[in-house]
Amino acid sequence: MLLNLNSLGAWKWILLAITGATSVFLLLPILFIAALSFGSSQWLIFPPPSWTLKWYQDLLADPRWLEAAWTSFRIALMVTVLSVLIGLVASFGLVRGRFVGRVALRALFMTPMILPVVVLAVALYAFFLRLGLNGTTAGFVIAHLVVALPFSILALTGALEGFDKSIEDAAVLCGASPLKAKILITLPSISHGLFSAAIFSFLTSWDEVVLAIFMASPTLQTLPVKIWATLRQDLTPVIAAASTLLIVVTMLLMLIAAAVKKGMKA
Amino acid sequence: MTPFLEIRGIRKQYGPVVAVHDVNLTVDHGEFLTFLGPSGSGKSTTLYILAGFERPTRGDILLNGKTILDTPSHQRNIGMVFQRYTLFPHLSVGDNIAFPLKVRGWSKAAITERVRQMLTLVRLEGFEDRKPAAMSGGQQQRVALARALAYDPPVLLMDEPLSALDKKLREEIQHEIRRIHQQTEVTILYVTHDQEEALRLSDRIAVFSHGVIDQIGTGEQLYADPATRFVAEFIGDSDFLPCRVVEQVNGRARIALNDGLIVSDIPLHGNSARKTDGMLMLRPERLSLSTKKTEMALPATVEDITFLGTHVNVATRTADGTAVSVRLPFGHQAISGIPRGTGVWLTFDANAAHVFL
Amino acid sequence: MGWLQDTPSAMIGEAPAKSGRDRRANRRLRKVMAMVSLAETADGRQAPHRRRLLPRGLAPTLPALVLVLVFFVLPVLALLTRSFTEPVLGLQNYIDLLGSSTYLKIFFNTFFVSALVTAISLTIGFPVAWALAIMPKRQANIVFAIILLSMWTNLLARTYAWMVLLQRTGVINKTLMGLGLIDQPLVMVNNLVGVTIGMTYIMLPFIIIPLYGVIRKIDPAILQAAALCGATRIQAFIHVLLPLAAPGMIAGALMVFVMSLGYFVTPSLLGGTANMMLAELIAQFVQSLVNWGMGGAAALVLLVITLSLYAVQLRLFGVAGQEKH
Repeated sequence: MLLNLNSLGAWKWILLAITGATSVFLLLPILFIAALSFGSSQWLIFPPPSWTLKWYQDLLADPRWLEAAWTSFRIALMVTVLSVLIGLVASFGLVRGRFVGRVALRALFMTPMILPVVVLAVALYAFFLRLGLNGTTAGFVIAHLVVALPFSILALTGALEGFDKSIEDAAVLCGASPLKAKILITLPSISHGLFSAAIFSFLTSWDEVVLAIFMASPTLQTLPVKIWATLRQDLTPVIAAASTLLIVVTMLLMLIAAAVKKGMKA
Repeated sequence: MTPFLEIRGIRKQYGPVVAVHDVNLTVDHGEFLTFLGPSGSGKSTTLYILAGFERPTRGDILLNGKTILDTPSHQRNIGMVFQRYTLFPHLSVGDNIAFPLKVRGWSKAAITERVRQMLTLVRLEGFEDRKPAAMSGGQQQRVALARALAYDPPVLLMDEPLSALDKKLREEIQHEIRRIHQQTEVTILYVTHDQEEALRLSDRIAVFSHGVIDQIGTGEQLYADPATRFVAEFIGDSDFLPCRVVEQVNGRARIALNDGLIVSDIPLHGNSARKTDGMLMLRPERLSLSTKKTEMALPATVEDITFLGTHVNVATRTADGTAVSVRLPFGHQAISGIPRGTGVWLTFDANAAHVFL
Repeated sequence: MGWLQDTPSAMIGEAPAKSGRDRRANRRLRKVMAMVSLAETADGRQAPHRRRLLPRGLAPTLPALVLVLVFFVLPVLALLTRSFTEPVLGLQNYIDLLGSSTYLKIFFNTFFVSALVTAISLTIGFPVAWALAIMPKRQANIVFAIILLSMWTNLLARTYAWMVLLQRTGVINKTLMGLGLIDQPLVMVNNLVGVTIGMTYIMLPFIIIPLYGVIRKIDPAILQAAALCGATRIQAFIHVLLPLAAPGMIAGALMVFVMSLGYFVTPSLLGGTANMMLAELIAQFVQSLVNWGMGGAAALVLLVITLSLYAVQLRLFGVAGQEKH
């Protein structure tokens, strides 16, 4: 019968073959990029004639790449802090509040996540032109914040809903003011939610391309923007090196997140 | 003399709906008073008004003559144990109990000593470093109790703290609560819907019904002299026989039962000038039966006999269809070998009866 | 909501429903409770003598609300309005957009590619999701790790990989020629073939993961019953498994289709300017041509289609939407 692997007969091998092929399909390009970044061919001939660290050296020696990386990092950091703070406060209102339109408000907060980013990018581009925020860090942070906030709210409302408010009430009766009770008791109890919100917000900003393209200026570029601009000109392996670094950072963050989640569940 | 705790004219309304109509109560220092009633009777609402989680629409609460309604919850210095386990999950048992003391600025040494004392009080010595997740429900509630008492509150509120536990454990902890009450002499206000629990723990019981207190008294008073039909039904088992008031003098009535039997001098609750039809209330253990007709006896048919260890429950039905339970001590000769359907004669102790209109 | 949620009837004095009047009163009570703001702070405590200005809990959501209104709703509405007001008031932009064959081709390309990507992803994704649902945990976890890694790898990095792989002198062409399967290198970049391959690569995880969830939830006993009833594997597949998995398939397909319609990065890089899709068209209008009217019009068209498809999904499935892993 169909939901038991061993009773599928010949179908079993077909399913497994497709799965195997798909896994390879999904994995190979990533490994390929990593391999390319160490290859000596400037025209991305694969397999490369020899291996080298040249592209990484070029990357790390180029102040514009380093600048782009630093820009990405500090913007992502600011976005993370703001997203978690605003999301946390909003989540308290959404979960504990009693007002008409609460459900609609929640849906509204989720909208930036489900609508095509290009529409938002173009709209903000026009808006910021009026306000003079194009090509500014502030503009960048705001734009990323809009798309990171839904993730933050999703994670934090989930965590708050799973938290028994009686515990906070007990803390108040023990003598802690409502604010103190939230800080000392509630926040530690939803730390996994805070952590998720932070990681998702950071990665959303760090990897974001479309908004960045529109928010950028020749002097203010995030890493994805620099890669995009370079890509439109040629396919130099330096991009492979930059991409590999991006991949490594993302993987590291995901591993940390997984480890922390496991540690918290224990 | 100023009462210790006074609840005066408390009313709580949510929009057009009234949860608590008019609750008046004084509590003595060191008393164990239970709010007893079904869900929705207003007992929990009243408790939460005391804790400061709800604000009354009208009325006042005075502790030692001073109103506490102006004080926010976290400054009321009241202890509370909730129905759900509310230990702080990320803190150890010791840190949980220490929390209210830290908030009050106690010295480290004083805190350590106090935590040890409280753990001894609830018989969980050595549990300082345990985490709540590693403890059973009963243990968690005991720690919650220790935490609530750690700062010597004048009043301890308990909102159905044992309803999440199984029966055996419940009885164990009821025993503990009673012991701790006697040891600490703290004033306890306890909410429950379980009349047995109320009878077991309390000095006095306030029976709540539809947002008001029907009656306050000791368990015996409520059992022997219920003021309303609701109290009679809620506490202990009761039988009700339809009757009619023939005559009323000074709060006592002469009534006629449906089959014509007349009984005199029964305490009357209600005004017979307005209506004369009511119910005669009897406790099952105040009834007796016999196969022989005696004076002042009610004819009935035996429907079922249940053996319950210390006593036997005989379910009977009178001629007009009223079900009457009779509780007899085990070994009573009247019922040995009586088959179902036998006609018997019921007698009762009129001194223990009440009439409710 | 702790105790408040726990004992709602205890708190709000519901009368035990002994009569119709009591039941009606209880219903009224619940409605009132849902609407009337309890005279408390956002967490059930109230400082003495404080009057409420706003319904409980609304204040903390204001910063987020202001952010979303000012920097999301407002700019988008402004852009859409411009489509009706620039360069002149009226529907001229829409007439131009939907009348011109160039633009219509772009719309067609976009729909075609999105449909194709959805179909391919579904065809490949279903067997994979199925396999994952019944594979032993160890192997399933490895596949999951690969899928997640792929999802979280930077979009540009993944697209770049395909740009290199698919180029004339790239690995794929080299291998195929080396194996003697083709004489001339296939042209797979700067055309819709590359876009389709690249987009499929990106969308696959978005179909596999929800579909896996749906298939997992199917009770194996149902399939066992089908077998006992005498159904062959093919019959059980067509008449039992497929219908049961269909909601998940449709939901996943809708999501992938909607995402593909609005995609910018991959189609731009792999398709080139000659094979533009809708998202790049919008960007072109705004960045290169500075034609806000047309840009807004194209954006509105995209939005309307997106929202309509979401509405369809909502109607069919309730609040499905994005699933958290």
